Amino acid sequence: MSNTTQNFDAVIIGGGHNGLTAATTLARKGHSVCVLERSSVLGGMMSVGGAEAPSFTSRLAHLLYNLNPKVERELGLRLNARNLTTVSLAPNGEHVEIDGGKARMMDGALHPKAVAFATLQTRLQRFATLLSRLSLRTPPKLSGSWTDPETFGELMGLAGIGLGLKGMGKVEMREFLRALLTNVHDLMVDDLDDGPLAGAMAADAVRGSFSGPKAPGTLFSLLYRLGNGANLRAPVGGMASAVAAFEDAAARAGCVIKRQSAVRSVLVQGDRVHGVELDDGTVIHAKAVLSSIGPQATINLAGIQHFDVEIARRAKNLRAKGTAGKLNLLLKARPEFSGLPAPLHQARLLIAPSSDYVEHAFNPVKYGSFSEAPTLEILLPNAHTPETPQTLSAVVGYMPHDPPGGWTDALRTKAERQIMAVLEAYAPGIGDRVQHSELLTPTDIQTETGAAGGHWHHGEMGIDQILNVRPINGMAHYQCGVEGLYLCGASAHPGGDINGAPGRNSALQALKDGAL
Amino acid sequence: MTDTSAARTLEEAVPLGLIPTVFQPRLEALSSAKSWMGWAGYQSAVVIENMEFEYFAIRNQSTLFDVSPMHKYRIQGPDAEAMLNRMMTRDVRKIRPGRVGYTLWCDEEGMVIDDGTLFRFGPDDFRLCCQERMLGWVLDAAWGFDVQVTDESDTISGLSLQGPTSFSILKDAGLDAAAALKPFDLAEIEPGLWISRTGFTGDLGYELWMKNADGLALWDRLWDAARDWGLKAIGFEALNLARIEAGFIAAQVDFQPIHSTLRLGRGRTPLELGFERLVDFEKDHFNGRRALLQQRQKGLRTHLVKIELGGFKPSNGALLYHRKTKEVGHVTSGAWSPTTKRNIALAELKAPYGGQVQDDLWAEIYVHEEGQWDRRLVPVTVQTSPFFSHPRARATPPRPF
Repeated sequence: MSNTTQNFDAVIIGGGHNGLTAATTLARKGHSVCVLERSSVLGGMMSVGGAEAPSFTSRLAHLLYNLNPKVERELGLRLNARNLTTVSLAPNGEHVEIDGGKARMMDGALHPKAVAFATLQTRLQRFATLLSRLSLRTPPKLSGSWTDPETFGELMGLAGIGLGLKGMGKVEMREFLRALLTNVHDLMVDDLDDGPLAGAMAADAVRGSFSGPKAPGTLFSLLYRLGNGANLRAPVGGMASAVAAFEDAAARAGCVIKRQSAVRSVLVQGDRVHGVELDDGTVIHAKAVLSSIGPQATINLAGIQHFDVEIARRAKNLRAKGTAGKLNLLLKARPEFSGLPAPLHQARLLIAPSSDYVEHAFNPVKYGSFSEAPTLEILLPNAHTPETPQTLSAVVGYMPHDPPGGWTDALRTKAERQIMAVLEAYAPGIGDRVQHSELLTPTDIQTETGAAGGHWHHGEMGIDQILNVRPINGMAHYQCGVEGLYLCGASAHPGGDINGAPGRNSALQALKDGAL
Repeated sequence: MTDTSAARTLEEAVPLGLIPTVFQPRLEALSSAKSWMGWAGYQSAVVIENMEFEYFAIRNQSTLFDVSPMHKYRIQGPDAEAMLNRMMTRDVRKIRPGRVGYTLWCDEEGMVIDDGTLFRFGPDDFRLCCQERMLGWVLDAAWGFDVQVTDESDTISGLSLQGPTSFSILKDAGLDAAAALKPFDLAEIEPGLWISRTGFTGDLGYELWMKNADGLALWDRLWDAARDWGLKAIGFEALNLARIEAGFIAAQVDFQPIHSTLRLGRGRTPLELGFERLVDFEKDHFNGRRALLQQRQKGLRTHLVKIELGGFKPSNGALLYHRKTKEVGHVTSGAWSPTTKRNIALAELKAPYGGQVQDDLWAEIYVHEEGQWDRRLVPVTVQTSPFFSHPRARATPPRPF
């Protein structure tokens, strides 16, 4: 019954948001597309888990803060999301509310460094906007001479960025070039002093990374996050509704979506793809295969013999040690954070009271251990209503991907206890209100989503793994060497978060190559 | 005296200077030139007695050259063939068990990493012999395949027995089973002694491979059997002349192995080295295939060719010109060939010279005579066949000569 053969123009491996974006992009251009998802639910990092998982509407990722506006427009995503402000919590109750470039204290007064912060934010936003021009195109190869049409186009694109850089003026341009590779800690502490404001920026820069805010290149990852306007959005109904919006867009475009369809191998013959074979033996023929899983997993599916030795080595050595975990709580009553006005319980709450705090939270993970004082990014999706049950969703930094001996039950319990202790300090009594809790470690995230190392961005967003070396040199232009095989996931340029640009760009590259 | 049995001194554990091969005691005794060089960390002879005598022994008698310093990597396991086929430009599946194949391998950009000989002992059992240290690369290439890689460079010794009377020596040494070996055949003639009909001279010859411990006994056995056959131990210089006559290329000389170059564009592809026949585009993917396909389409940058020059002055390093004015290349290995009585060389020319354009080529040879430099412009003609080639190199069974 299962050994049937089907034909599509393109097969997409992985039904995460990038896979669905790639699929929709191709289907909207009139191609027949089949999306294959291993698990019973779509969404990847946005996924809420299968029926066996407890029902949290934002089980993994819980925010849209880097969704590419062009992707949203092109796909016609029907998203209902509300904008959020951020509150960076302080242990002494002197929390700071961050709303775009404004920084206020809880009583509505300006933060003492509000002016410096506004200036900094404006400047970073300008830098980020300039850099984000790179994110909607395939990274430049610059392999031909300048008369080569493709290379000429790349040069013109870069020239545009160069002109934009020039247009900022000499002082700003110099500052941009100085800051680009620097660390986020120095920049924040220089201008803002260390405290909840600097801590918030530091935590946003390194969330999901295997680096603390004092590591070089961390400002770049902050700029990446700011690239799409720095507006934070929480989908109404949780990420489940965002998944539904992506699925809806794909369905409207005519994509065929198959769940519980794990790919056993990518079929390659004569150095080009011919389709995929599923675990149940079904063969699906396709002219192009776009894989949203990482480079290593893609290589394994196609067979390592089809790839150059250097490519395989780089894929093997890809830096992808996940450090973000996820804590989901089902609560008997709405939690109350000390000194936080009721309406601001609907904000994004950060526990990152200083940049130093964030750095210290990172230190233990280097040795496979877990901080007693982790950073948390907290959402209370039902805070607008007193109705129960209430939920709490928190992204936890940092958790090791491979603690010595693995994630044993004892270690999980210990980690959860430590996170709860931090929460308790800011929201006294929260522990007593917990009905049910679920802690997802990077290892769990890897198991559930297939992301290498359970990494939030499918691979570290370091200066050695961005642009034309993302994820690795030789696979950075969505192409994998084998004709018709493409990377379309967050491991590809421009990178992670719920962004969509990797999927879109990959699809456009496949079309440009005439692969379909 | 202190008791040294407990721990080896640093010098014992990590010997300083060049390491003697197992044959060094015999070579040392024969050497009157006392001319040694380093080869992969081992002591190796440049000349034993006299370069000319040694060269003529290669062509008229028989010679023994110690090839133990060659790097030797054993690759074994169910995926050995697939792994090597992905690494090598030629189709390894066509090298049957009991055969040896000359082969090249490239990086992802199609640039030659090294060339060497691949010995196939069995369906899943290979040994790669090459000039450059290659363990890291072989391990990288093996990753993801079910194979075991062993560096045998320091445990296996090799002797190259070359020359018209080489088979006669094997016969008199009781190794006449080697008679059945055709060129590039390989067989375990005695337990632990593998003999391949291979060499670097273009003449009749064999290479003998054994464990280090068996080396000296074999040397003595050959030496005793060779009484009537004019056997000579030789050094690198004589062999180098013979290999130029045979038209064989040498790493670091005629091409730069890509992993040892730092400057952009110094690597060469197998196509540019003239080995298109050893690049099988029809088989499955191999390292550098896509880059090589692209180059085949776009055209080569250079041509490595055999040339014959006017005059008799060796042309090593000479610059080549088209129409006597435009510089188009240089000689990579040049020599006066005593056997063929021709002035021969290997040379690299910028495309299309040496390829489509072969006429009106000239070499500028600088000659130094007793403190005076002289410059000679001599005509160059591109050759397609080896300078030295003799039917005895291919006759099976070999005749005694």
